[in-house]
Amino acid sequence: MKSQPKRWNDPILVAAVAPLAIVMLVFFLIPLAMTVLLTFQTTQYYRLHWTWDLKIWTEIFSKPHYWTIMLRTVGMAVICVVISILIAFPTAYALTTRLKTYSAQIQILIIFAFLTDAVLKTFGWILVLDRQGVANWLLSYLGLGPEAMDILFTPTGTMIGMVYNLAVYPMFTIYLSLARIDRDLVLASYDAGASRIRTFFEVTLPLSRPGLYSGAVLVFVLSLGAFLEPKVLGGGTSPLASELIRQSFETRVNWPLGAALTIVLIAIGALTLALAAAFVFRRSPAAAGGQA
Amino acid sequence: MATPIIDASHIIKDYGRVRALHGVSLEVGAGEFVALVGPSGCGKTTLLKILAGFEETTEGRLDIEGKDMRGVPAASRPTRMVFQKLALFPHKTVAQNIGFALKLQKFDKAEIDRRVVAMLELMHLNLDYLDRFPAQLSGGEQQRVALARALVSQPGVLLLDEPMSALDAKLKKSLQAELKKLHRELGTSFVLVTHDLEEAMMLADRICVMRAGRVVQIGTPTQIYYRPANMFVAGFIGETNFLPVDVSGSQDGGLIVGSPLVTGEPAVMEAGNVSEFLGEGNKALLIRPESIGFLKGEPSPGQWMLTGVVDEYFIKGSSTQYRIRVAGLEAPVVMDLPGSFELPAEVGEEVRIGFEPTRTFLLSE
Repeated sequence: MKSQPKRWNDPILVAAVAPLAIVMLVFFLIPLAMTVLLTFQTTQYYRLHWTWDLKIWTEIFSKPHYWTIMLRTVGMAVICVVISILIAFPTAYALTTRLKTYSAQIQILIIFAFLTDAVLKTFGWILVLDRQGVANWLLSYLGLGPEAMDILFTPTGTMIGMVYNLAVYPMFTIYLSLARIDRDLVLASYDAGASRIRTFFEVTLPLSRPGLYSGAVLVFVLSLGAFLEPKVLGGGTSPLASELIRQSFETRVNWPLGAALTIVLIAIGALTLALAAAFVFRRSPAAAGGQA
Repeated sequence: MATPIIDASHIIKDYGRVRALHGVSLEVGAGEFVALVGPSGCGKTTLLKILAGFEETTEGRLDIEGKDMRGVPAASRPTRMVFQKLALFPHKTVAQNIGFALKLQKFDKAEIDRRVVAMLELMHLNLDYLDRFPAQLSGGEQQRVALARALVSQPGVLLLDEPMSALDAKLKKSLQAELKKLHRELGTSFVLVTHDLEEAMMLADRICVMRAGRVVQIGTPTQIYYRPANMFVAGFIGETNFLPVDVSGSQDGGLIVGSPLVTGEPAVMEAGNVSEFLGEGNKALLIRPESIGFLKGEPSPGQWMLTGVVDEYFIKGSSTQYRIRVAGLEAPVVMDLPGSFELPAEVGEEVRIGFEPTRTFLLSE
């Protein structure tokens, strides 16, 4: 790994970076700055007044209601990450080991399911989770559930939908990490006297960290902004941040409030990721660096 | 070889319908350095993996240190492997890589540290490397770490799967020398897989030449070089010449050979100059490049003469190599002459070359 000296006056380098830089600037940084500016304004009679005021921020910090929803959103996101990883890892592991022969076919099937429109799939879950749905029928048929369970329009319903829609991301990132692990490393571990389980924890798991972490980050970020699942499967009884922000903008036409809640959500997300990254880098700089 | 440390007999290995090993037998003595040599696909690596326990045998018996290895996993075998691509754990430091086997054996930390440091010293590695990751080391240093990792648990047998194939020529030479010295010092049995017969001759006490899943010949480097079983083994090392001959009878325990391509009386090959594996197929004389040269004038009695045209020559410093195209021979005859300022012949020149058949070796395909 040779590091080239950074020369920002290199015209080719500038030309190569420019398109992305411009897109990021115009569609991310400027809107973000505008959102921040928006939080210092006020609305009266559904009209935005161009003032400089901390009213919205005092409101947000004084009302625990907002923080309950924010906390719930982060909590749901963390649970969603954990469940998604728990589903994705064994699947990815199987695809690189036992199911290796059929790995390509299985991945194509997964991609097909993944590419089907999320709205469609999420509404499809209603048929499964409804009191008279497939899940309850199956449970009672198997004699596992004496009574019909209420899953639809509960946080559990939201979680099922979120995991279903998001678990594919870590599955692929973990699969890519696992597939890159040299088989000889596993053999070298056996050779040194390690059992299969020990080898998994000493070699396979640490080397799959890059995929594990990037998958977790993807799920976390996407579930912070989950909108569809709480709406369709959660039934609005316990709203998440996205619903709160939507209401602020659309129903209450309080743009400064919506902007401030957006900033809070982004800040919480960024902070969580920063803490996670710090933790990861402290534990193993090599694995985080992804040396092969 | 009183008690072989490895006793493999009639090992057969099938991958699906493909047979990789057709009943291979091999004994390795305690403290012996054996090289498995052959072209790619000959089954040498498969055999090594079977010894290491990474592959199960389909048939046959394998004893290591007097114990049947059937069903014994790699983790429980007294063998350690140095992998072709080294397979150092990229996420572990040098110290963790080397100490891994000891950690698994639940040695206490101080003892592990002590042995790891001792291994680094044995391998002439800088102690500053302990906390580095493998990717931060050079190719040669990684090589030494891989050796240290395998030797730290004091295995009965060290298995080496072409560990030096990726190194440049100079580094390779110095590591080969170190490996040989290491073997002498430790007294551990080494089994080295290589496709390079020259490397095998330099390092090993005995060489096992393999071809298409079968052992062609097992012998000391000198036996392999001077008494090759057949043309395959002979052609495997360096450059050699084969002159097709006919055996017309025997005389005084020797075989009478002659060739229509040469000018000269039929010669009698003594038993010592005839391969013990001589078969019914095509026979040839093995003529090393150093035992053939230009003829000035007529051949002396007992000499055979060939005529040809100089195809090309290469000045190598201490020697000059000539390639002579001879009518009736597929490949040009290769001759190594002592280097000299005056070139004995130019390209395109018609030349006579000669050799003494009784100083060559008779073998078959």
